[in-house]
Amino acid sequence: MDFELTDEQELVRSTVREFAEAELAPVAGEIDRDHRFPEEVLPKMAGMNLMGMPYPEEYGGAGTDYVSYMIALEEVSRGCATTGVIMTAHTTLATFPIYKFGSQAQKDKYLSDMASGRRLGAFALTEPAAGTDAAAGTCTAIRKDNSYVLNGSKIFISNAPFAEIYIVFAKTDPDAQGTRGMSAFIVERDTPGFSVGEAEHKLGIRGSSTPPLYFTNCQVPADALLGQEGQGFKIAMQTLDGGRIGIGAQALGIAQAALDAAVAYAKERVQFGKPIASLQAIQWMIADMATSIDAARLLVYRAASNIDHGFPYSTEGAMAKLFASETATRVADRAIQIHGGYGYTESYPVERHYRDAKITELYEGTSEVQRMVIARAALR
Amino acid sequence: MKIVVAYKWTSDPEEATVGADGVVNWSRARPGISTYDPVAIEVARGLAAATSAELIGVTVGAKGVGTPLAAKAALSRGLDRAVIVEDDSLKGAGQAELAAVVAAVVRRIGDVDLVITGDSSVDVAAKMVPTVLAGELGWPAVAEVTDVTGQPGALRVGRAVPGGAQVLEISGPAVLATSADATTPHVPGMKDLLAAGKKPVEHVDLAALDVPASSAVMTITGRARPARKERKHQLLDTSDPAEAAAELVKALREVGAL
Ligand SMILES: Cc1cc2nc3c(=O)[nH]c(=O)nc-3n(C[C@H](O)[C@H](O)[C@H](O)COP(=O)(O)OP(=O)(O)OC[C@H]3O[C@@H](n4cnc5c(N)ncnc54)[C@H](O)[C@@H]3O)c2cc1C
Repeated sequence: MDFELTDEQELVRSTVREFAEAELAPVAGEIDRDHRFPEEVLPKMAGMNLMGMPYPEEYGGAGTDYVSYMIALEEVSRGCATTGVIMTAHTTLATFPIYKFGSQAQKDKYLSDMASGRRLGAFALTEPAAGTDAAAGTCTAIRKDNSYVLNGSKIFISNAPFAEIYIVFAKTDPDAQGTRGMSAFIVERDTPGFSVGEAEHKLGIRGSSTPPLYFTNCQVPADALLGQEGQGFKIAMQTLDGGRIGIGAQALGIAQAALDAAVAYAKERVQFGKPIASLQAIQWMIADMATSIDAARLLVYRAASNIDHGFPYSTEGAMAKLFASETATRVADRAIQIHGGYGYTESYPVERHYRDAKITELYEGTSEVQRMVIARAALR
Repeated sequence: MKIVVAYKWTSDPEEATVGADGVVNWSRARPGISTYDPVAIEVARGLAAATSAELIGVTVGAKGVGTPLAAKAALSRGLDRAVIVEDDSLKGAGQAELAAVVAAVVRRIGDVDLVITGDSSVDVAAKMVPTVLAGELGWPAVAEVTDVTGQPGALRVGRAVPGGAQVLEISGPAVLATSADATTPHVPGMKDLLAAGKKPVEHVDLAALDVPASSAVMTITGRARPARKERKHQLLDTSDPAEAAAELVKALREVGAL
């Protein structure tokens, strides 16, 4: 068994950390405060080949392994959790379906623009009445001659309206039972009948935009269908299997940022004549935080390594996401505790880490869903 | 045309700790490319791109400077290849010794038109190596270089001098030390990191370079923390600025500071 990172993985960490500390961390507080999507950061991310890391170079990607991608996502999220979700929603949720299920023509048309970061993508599965129960969606895509006509709405779609390319799930066979009638489509932003609503006001990752989408007799060409008719649910689930590891990496970055802040503060803050870091009560909190972060990191890297080795990763990814996200929330909570009252104010970043951490327990499958996936595998 | 960038692979003192005995403990400090050397690589890269020159990284030092990770980290910043002398006898080597080894490597590479270095090394910060290196090679040395343009044999070199700037024209090979803020080095992209592993690295034996050994041996035999200055803790207790200024001048005169 080998726990050492390769030279390239080490360099990805140090290099992305250098980038995140210089370009992301300094604006993370401001974009949170102003609920501002950090548009200016995206060309810089693209310049670093950070918007399509795991895809081959011939498709505009960086051609790295999945572990490197997760390390980069962790470091980006350590600097700015909002940028982390923009990166993973684009790289995994929006780009993977085209890479894995797209026709050659679809790959030629979209992949290099997306994997190089020139055009931003989004993934639209959730509907107002269909969250965890994604198959209950009521969006429809009815075949008409050489096109499909989309009707219905989506909610909570990360990266909209800044995205240009949307992976949209809709029922091509509304009468089919369960998961069978759903299909996936590639929809471009300027398609008539497609519009983006007002962004939600959120607890955390406030710089990321999360608005609803509306489709009103939105006509897309027949070749916008991704994969086969009826394959939509499978495409969504396979995409989310990989995406979950990414949310684990995002959670890891947030947790590490919270621990870093707590350690720095504990060494600096003096009470009863000595730094609070010398108090056992504080040391125990820090020990628990560091230990759970390390465990989460091992789970996230192991799941990613399974992808690199062609091993199954669905359960491993669910474990990584579950543990890393609950670790992030807990660690951020402890980081505020260590900061005392100051941690509750905007003068320190830990209140933001606390708000940012919570989302990782919700999107791309709630903790309850991850437990269902893990239990199903354990009880098989 | 060949441009050599001499870079140092070392540890950042900010990550080191100093024990009660005054001895620096480097064990927690991670090695990396010395802080100002990416500036040198960036300036050299610009010139190399404009003149189609080959850009060769050179580093010499003790065990560790030639690991694949160290080489890839430097190469990812835009060097075409690297020539490395890794020998534990160079542990703690002085600036003159290091410069002599770098000079030997530059001669060995052959037909080098220009050597560019960083402003100072992050661990020693003596700013001596470029000058001694130039002396070894018999070339001119220019420090505080802010930009380089032109062709080999006709280089235009901008440098910062106290109170302003100068432009020099240099007709032959030279050693240039870039100023710390000559440019903002770019952070390498993910593709650069992967490509770095495919670039050639040549390891050269120190013995093969025939560098004359110095007969002098230098060792640190004593250490002390800086002497603590007596503080007067004097407060000027007035809200009137003119009065405060007068009192300050008076107090400074009394202690002989003015
Ligand atoms: C900031 C943000 C960004 C998002 N980005 C995207 C995006 O880009 N694309 C996209 O498609 N979606 C996105 N989502 C949607 C997100 O994935 C869903 O919110 C999530 O899947 C949960 O669905 P829901 O909100 O409808 O909750 P519900 O499904 O209504 O769940 C409510 C509660 O019930 C529990 N629950 C539900 N079913 C079960 C069950 N069978 N067993 C046990 N417990 C259950 C849940 O765990 C949860 O605790 C985003 C959401 C947010 C908040």
